[in-house]
Amino acid sequence: MSASEYSAAPTDTHVGQTLLRGRAGFVMLTLVYVALVAICLGSLISAGDLSIGRNPWANLLKTASEFSYPSFLDVWFGETALEYRSDDGRVLRVENRREVELAYLAGLARATWTTITIATLGSLLGAMLALPLAVLTARNLHAPKVLAWCAKGILDVSRSIHTLVFGLVLVGIVGLGPTAGILAIALHSMGTYGKLFAESIEALDMAAIHAVQSVGAEPIQVFFNAIWPAVLPQFVSSHLYIWEFNIRDSTILGMIGAGGLGLLITEAISLFQWGRLATVLLVVTILVMSFDALSRRIRRSLS
Amino acid sequence: MTELAIALRDVVWRVHGRTVLDIASLDVRAGERIALVGPNGAGKSTLLRVLAGDVMPAHGSVTVLNRQLASTLSGPQRRAWRRNVGQVFQGLHLVTRLTAMDNTLIGALGRFHGWRSWFRLYPSAVRQQACEALRAVGLLGQMHTRADRLSGGERQKVAIARLLLQQPQLILADEPTAALDPAAAGDVCRLLLQAAQQATLLTVVHNTTLLSQLADRVIGLRQGRIAFDLPVGQVDDRALLALYHGDHQRPSERLGGVLPDTVYVQTQELI
Repeated sequence: MSASEYSAAPTDTHVGQTLLRGRAGFVMLTLVYVALVAICLGSLISAGDLSIGRNPWANLLKTASEFSYPSFLDVWFGETALEYRSDDGRVLRVENRREVELAYLAGLARATWTTITIATLGSLLGAMLALPLAVLTARNLHAPKVLAWCAKGILDVSRSIHTLVFGLVLVGIVGLGPTAGILAIALHSMGTYGKLFAESIEALDMAAIHAVQSVGAEPIQVFFNAIWPAVLPQFVSSHLYIWEFNIRDSTILGMIGAGGLGLLITEAISLFQWGRLATVLLVVTILVMSFDALSRRIRRSLS
Repeated sequence: MTELAIALRDVVWRVHGRTVLDIASLDVRAGERIALVGPNGAGKSTLLRVLAGDVMPAHGSVTVLNRQLASTLSGPQRRAWRRNVGQVFQGLHLVTRLTAMDNTLIGALGRFHGWRSWFRLYPSAVRQQACEALRAVGLLGQMHTRADRLSGGERQKVAIARLLLQQPQLILADEPTAALDPAAAGDVCRLLLQAAQQATLLTVVHNTTLLSQLADRVIGLRQGRIAFDLPVGQVDDRALLALYHGDHQRPSERLGGVLPDTVYVQTQELI
């Protein structure tokens, strides 16, 4: 065979596929990506939107100093008799900062619990709603085409609408409070749950399923005896992962009136109480970190 | 006259112009022990899949256990019939995260319905049977071991325990010893025969040294057609070599008249 036959260009019609194959394909994709980044930067610069303000350093230092004294420190170090005076020097009100901050911390604890409640119940509801849809969309279970398409459509829509958007709509429907938050979390995470559940079902060992079918088991028996035990560890793992994600998500849900820590965040921002904001954000960080560590440990022990 | 377990008539199946199966007539009496031999791609596994009702040939009639198979069978009909057809597979066909006991109990699902079966809440009589089955295959001590912690031979024995619980009238085994060492293969064959005492047994066999142990009738398949159909006593190396190499060759000279277990692999190297 001559060398020219080896080097002959492939004559297949799938030009797009050939272009994206091998090292040249990777270089191509990288170039496309670099071009996209360049266009994004270029469009920002040409519109004059890429600016960091007039005196960013001073602003940064100011913000940092405002955040550097979290309000909860007042519980121990606050003035016991802070006097509020009018312009002419009259004492309007005397406040014990320690008591006020203690009361604020109690409110913060209640809001934190509401946030955990929203995330927990919302995640569970989302998982329960997603399970039947995931079973319908998993390609290897061969659900009727129409049902599979509908289920996939519902999951795609719920995944593409943000929790906050769901929250805003639901606050209008069910009113202010944690119920709207729970439903918003459930409706959005349902899409993610469905996708993860369907993927773990699709990764199943079909041989075992076939073996259970071959003894004459009903579809529901096949589900509980072959599919469920095999996917349960992955389901629990995805559940913990999304639950953890929802803890983060539900901390801002209060901003739109759906209950929890978010309400305290908006409050602190609109009253310019940066010390209190620092306290709230500290609580959010500790909450997310501890849940993260817990869920990672459980997920590791599951494998 | 004995009852027929299997009756195939004019079964023809072609895919992309290649004949996968072309069987004019094949009868198997109830209680017979059949071995299917033939090179890779001869249609052995396809025949088993047809008999198991997984696929339907385009043409011809397939009657298994007095039921004519058709794609029009309803789900409940198909399940009721499958309950009587036991299958043993080549590889790992256990639910890996369930214990040996739970895998064995799956054999009872065909005759045990209702919500209790969803949660594996079997009646104690069925559990007792499963214990007996595990004792029969020598795995009672490992009944609480998860299937993915068992060795290949032990897994195949659990599959046979499942078969014992299923009590099928026809057993289809597709190279049940393919992945096992000779000792385990011998064990599994013995147990398979025990399980098939009240049933008809069809086994795809590659290891021809097991033929006399597993079968009393040997059917050679080549390119989807029946090349020979002989009592096991009349099957000699010549017939098998002709089956694996084609009639026009004289491979007995090439191989020195010995038929090794892995005749197909060696053949490829020789040609």
